[in-house]
Amino acid sequence: MKLKHSLFTRRQFLNGILGGWFGALAASVLYPALKFVFPPTREPDQVILPFSDCEDMKLNTVKNFPWGSKPGLLKKNDDGSYTAFVAVCTHLDCNVTYLSDQRKFFCACHDGWYDESGTHIGGPPPRPLRRLILSIEGEDLIIKREGVE
Amino acid sequence: MSSKGQKMGLRSWLDDRLGVSAVFGFLRDKKIPQHRHSVWYYTGSAILLFFAIQMITGFMLVFYYNPTLEGANTSVARIMTEIPLGWIIRSVHSWSASFMIAFVFIHLLSIWITKAYRKPRELTWISGVFLLLISLAFGFTGYLLPWDDLSLSATKVGTDIPRSIPVVGVWVTRLLRGGDDVTGDTLTRFFGFHVSILPLFLLTILAVHIYLVQKQGMSVPVSDEKKGKKLKELPFWPNFVYREMVVWLILTGILFSVAIFFPPSLEKAADLMAPAPEGLRPEWYFLFLFQMLKIFPSKILFINGDTIAVLLILLGIIAFFFLPLIDSKPAEKKGKIITAAAYLFIVFAVAMSLWSLLS
Ligand code: HEM
Ligand code: FES
Repeated sequence: MKLKHSLFTRRQFLNGILGGWFGALAASVLYPALKFVFPPTREPDQVILPFSDCEDMKLNTVKNFPWGSKPGLLKKNDDGSYTAFVAVCTHLDCNVTYLSDQRKFFCACHDGWYDESGTHIGGPPPRPLRRLILSIEGEDLIIKREGVE
Repeated sequence: MSSKGQKMGLRSWLDDRLGVSAVFGFLRDKKIPQHRHSVWYYTGSAILLFFAIQMITGFMLVFYYNPTLEGANTSVARIMTEIPLGWIIRSVHSWSASFMIAFVFIHLLSIWITKAYRKPRELTWISGVFLLLISLAFGFTGYLLPWDDLSLSATKVGTDIPRSIPVVGVWVTRLLRGGDDVTGDTLTRFFGFHVSILPLFLLTILAVHIYLVQKQGMSVPVSDEKKGKKLKELPFWPNFVYREMVVWLILTGILFSVAIFFPPSLEKAADLMAPAPEGLRPEWYFLFLFQMLKIFPSKILFINGDTIAVLLILLGIIAFFFLPLIDSKPAEKKGKIITAAAYLFIVFAVAMSLWSLLS
């Protein structure tokens, strides 16, 4: 039924109202459901290690530290400086290891290789290892994510 | 009243309420055509056998298995060493998974080659491809549950692969992992997929699949259809069912023999921070995909090589889904090429798998 000056029939109007109501209801249920299924996972902004732990590392060796749920590697370079990496392969996420004798990072999953500065030099990895930013404040070695103040 | 009369009474009482005599009548009249390729008709019920064994042994494992970061590996170790006959149950579950997936592959390949997916059986095929994907998902999620170094790395790699799909990929990875990384949450989530979500999906689609097979009857290969002469037939009940039971008996014997002589191992519990172990390899049914990813160049004209590899694999799966629609002229040249593609696929998959095993 349609009134003379109306834009819709009564059925269109009711379907529109009901459909809109149903759509809004569905969205308001779906949104929290998706929130539940995809929990927030944030990487740590920073990790603090006591500097005394790393001071007496030998040159050209690495030390593990937990970077959130990923492993991190702190490397002491030949000139005594330090570099920190997220020790996760940029190919498909396997944990890498440092081979001191070859001066390379190695990923066993698909034979991925990185040189001692973390640059990908062999196998499937498409990008260098991710680096973290280091600073020493008093007794602490502070390891930060890039872009964090 | 005589006891016979009572039985008849019970039967008709049930029939009045459930109407099962129509089903029995249907099965009594069902006929299985006999020809050169009839052996493939037995693969479907072999899958059913192994799935039934997976359900029974799976539910038993659930009694002792503990789906947490701290408990998973020790609970499987306990099943292997302390629980009476636990090692056999786990071994049968692990072997029967391989047997089931092997038969799903054989089943689908035989249908591809004999073109049993021809009109009107397109939906039967499509539901079958869903069942293949669900079976692979069962294998993939189950592999993580013992939670040792190998299963952890395999899962890290496997769940990272979707990430190279543009836009939606990241969300697929997060959905599978329950976060950005593989953690204890991933383990618990995989357990949920493995023991509740996937079984529900599989049973539902299996019901549709079996309904369609009954409704449409067994298909006859193109060559026999063309000849047009009437094929010999075997009554489904009892002749065919009895033959199937003999096949089941033999397969069960083989399954239990390998399960008892070659139980699966269990390495020490996975460490989220440890480097990936050497010799990482997925289960045999993922080997050819694994090898493809391994040999794909990391960059092809500025585009990430993995993205291309994954999109190619996706394209392959989509084409596989719609095979009956693509194969629109089964008896002509195009149909022959599509049959040849099946053999090509077999050679490709076997060659890639061997390459991976030998390298
Ligand atoms: C209702 C059905 C099922 C239930 C309740 C179930 C339950 C389980 C449980 C509790 C485990 C962990 C114990 C262990 O790792 O030994 C497991 C492992 C596993 N499941 Fe299942 N499962 C079911 C069906 C399937 C199916 C259909 C497949 C494959 C086609 C499958 C493949 C596997 C695999 C490969 C493992 C790892 C075996 C190992 O190395 O120990 N499961 N399942
Ligand atoms: S995950 Fe490191 S090479 Fe593939």
